[in-house]
Amino acid sequence: MDSGTMEKLAVLGEGAKYDVSCSSSGADRSNIGRIGSAACAGICHSWAADGRCISLLKVLLSNDCVYDCKYCVNRRTAGVARRSFEPRELAALTIEFYRRNYIEGLFLSSAVLVSPDHTAERMYECLWLLREEHGFAGYIHAKVIPGTSPELLHRIGLVSDRLSVNVELPSETSLAALAPQKKPQGIFGPMRQITETQLEHRTLSAPGLMGKLDSAFAAGVTGGRGAPIPAAFEQAGGGRRTGAGEPDDDFGIAIRQGGYPDRRRTYKERFAPAGQTTQMIIGASSESDLHIIRTSEALYRRFSMKRVYFSAYIPVASAPELPDMAMPPPLKREHRLYQADWLLRFYGFRADEILSAEEPDLDYDLDPKVVWALRHLEEFPIEVNKASLEELLRIPGVGNVSAKRIISQRRTAAVRYDDLKKIGVVLKRARYFLTCSGRYYGEGELEPCYIRDRMKGMEGLADPSRPVPILDRARIRSGLVGAGPEQVSMFDALSGRQGGL
Amino acid sequence: MNYIYDGTFDGFLTCVYEHYHSAKADGIFARGVYQADMLTPPREVRTDEGKARTVEAAIVKKISPHALARVYRVFRTDTDGKELMLLSYIRLCFKSGPAMAFLHSHPLVNPVEKAELKIGNEVHRLCGLIRFSAVCPAPAGGAGHGGEGHGGTVDSGAEAVAAQMREILYARVEPDHEVLEFLAPHFTDRFKSEPFIIHDTRRGRALVAWHRRWHIEDFTERDAALLENAPSERGYRDMWRRYFDAIAIKERKNPRCQRNFMPARYWQNLTEMQPR
Repeated sequence: MDSGTMEKLAVLGEGAKYDVSCSSSGADRSNIGRIGSAACAGICHSWAADGRCISLLKVLLSNDCVYDCKYCVNRRTAGVARRSFEPRELAALTIEFYRRNYIEGLFLSSAVLVSPDHTAERMYECLWLLREEHGFAGYIHAKVIPGTSPELLHRIGLVSDRLSVNVELPSETSLAALAPQKKPQGIFGPMRQITETQLEHRTLSAPGLMGKLDSAFAAGVTGGRGAPIPAAFEQAGGGRRTGAGEPDDDFGIAIRQGGYPDRRRTYKERFAPAGQTTQMIIGASSESDLHIIRTSEALYRRFSMKRVYFSAYIPVASAPELPDMAMPPPLKREHRLYQADWLLRFYGFRADEILSAEEPDLDYDLDPKVVWALRHLEEFPIEVNKASLEELLRIPGVGNVSAKRIISQRRTAAVRYDDLKKIGVVLKRARYFLTCSGRYYGEGELEPCYIRDRMKGMEGLADPSRPVPILDRARIRSGLVGAGPEQVSMFDALSGRQGGL
Repeated sequence: MNYIYDGTFDGFLTCVYEHYHSAKADGIFARGVYQADMLTPPREVRTDEGKARTVEAAIVKKISPHALARVYRVFRTDTDGKELMLLSYIRLCFKSGPAMAFLHSHPLVNPVEKAELKIGNEVHRLCGLIRFSAVCPAPAGGAGHGGEGHGGTVDSGAEAVAAQMREILYARVEPDHEVLEFLAPHFTDRFKSEPFIIHDTRRGRALVAWHRRWHIEDFTERDAALLENAPSERGYRDMWRRYFDAIAIKERKNPRCQRNFMPARYWQNLTEMQPR
């Protein structure tokens, strides 16, 4: 281990820290290689000082970028130390960390070194070495560099568990303003390829929006009305390559000529069994929360994403298009957006139910489920002993686990109010919205202002350790081309079912 | 009547048998835990494998196989009065049927469910929080050459491979509950080609595994002293700490959140939480 590796690890770990995703979930695999396995629920190995979990060794292969995205620490014009791992070096380091149980696997991203394909080739070489030479059967999450060729993407997918392409910003307008070298088709092309290859390989295990697999959604994924999947990527996916060889200096050429065997010859090829995710930056541009939630809903529906991550913008550079350097990261906003995201994914809500054109932003004082309930008091109170699972999930303070427990207990005995707490229901929120065997426990009237005031008092808003950022300032400063929030365009690729691609 | 048993699972099941077939148990205590009570002399229950199997079969048949697994897991927790809690649970389910297991808020079911959740959570948490060190058996008599120096090379040369073959992975843990055997399936599969030892320093036991086979044996600090760090170990620890510091976003610092997920009682065995 030469001392340079330590230095590279520090620089390239630092460079990768703004990538949000670190989960190691979605793939379930026993040890089919020599070392490693994957657990479906994912395993966190540590928690960094910012409270975010460390599950995968999240590093960049290189931070030597040719792009100049304004919000990025590694942009070409930034004065940071430039380092690159050798693929072999990083593979060996990953194994050593893995043996010591520091990590659950590798999250490999990279700045664009020379060109997207050159970068992707080096990433593939590293992953190939891990899988083939080290017999690694643990978790691999690979970041797809926008603009990577379909053939390379396909190969990377075959050695990875999860792929992600960052959508970066919530609208086409802000992408053009802040990351002019990244084009929407370079982002959505790979996303689409991943979804379609998964359909071909039947590894599209679950829709991003659980329990909402309606026909419109299915049509959205397959590209419309049960049409067969376009065979555009046949040349990449079809025909198993044979032959053997060690990676060498002409590695990239060898890949293009199909010189290396796919991994796991004795197993069925699986393309990204843990699906794909994406992330977007919150607070660097002027979109409303409604727009952001709609975009993520469209991403779930259209590409069957596993997750859409949000990343509160942390100022790393001063530019006229960007918010003030002194702005604290909009953590509260990010938190509320994640709550809304949970409503989309696990609670059967639609984006239009959570927010509307009249109220395009989330309430930072109350969680979005409570806000929804207060706007729809006509549906409450809900009787816990009669309601269906879907209805139970609409009650604030009732989650998936407690809703299922209520239903399983109901088979044996009626649920009493005192039982709810033991079942796991958060009564300080739920009590206003439910009845137990016909009795209401909410003290007072079922009346929005009253409930709202009571709950605000309980949420601990005055917690000084988590400052509520002044978002309006960011909005005004960043005021992209003078467009009001509602005029910001949705990505073409997401707006219409057939559009864009 | 108070029962005293030897602390084994079979011993506990024998107590359940005796509860039904002779005197009713008012308290069940492991030997060593029991504090003498002047009024009621305790009864020593001799572990009887036949009786234990009978109770096991009855639980499987009258309640469910799942219930037996639950009873076993809860028995492995470090809960005060777990024996009596489990006895009441078994009695309730025998009497009222397997559906009782779904009464999540029943005063006899709820604590069992909670205890089961606790040990399950700890097992899951430790799957991530265990830290192995690459160690070698200390050379007999000869002076070992410490942990300094970066002997290992990144290139997987023949020498490095040979060195790695001699290495054993060793981890220290201090879990709240007796989790070793629940950790075994996960780690024996994951590290199937490496010998490893997970040492429960609190109970003086260790999970010893190699090639997918494992057993649990007594293991003392003196045994642990026979192992010394491999030459490359120090370098990887330093790198991990460096990485750990680099990955945190300073603007989002949140020690409370970190502590919630990673309770301080585990820190002593975490490489990254050692003072720099």
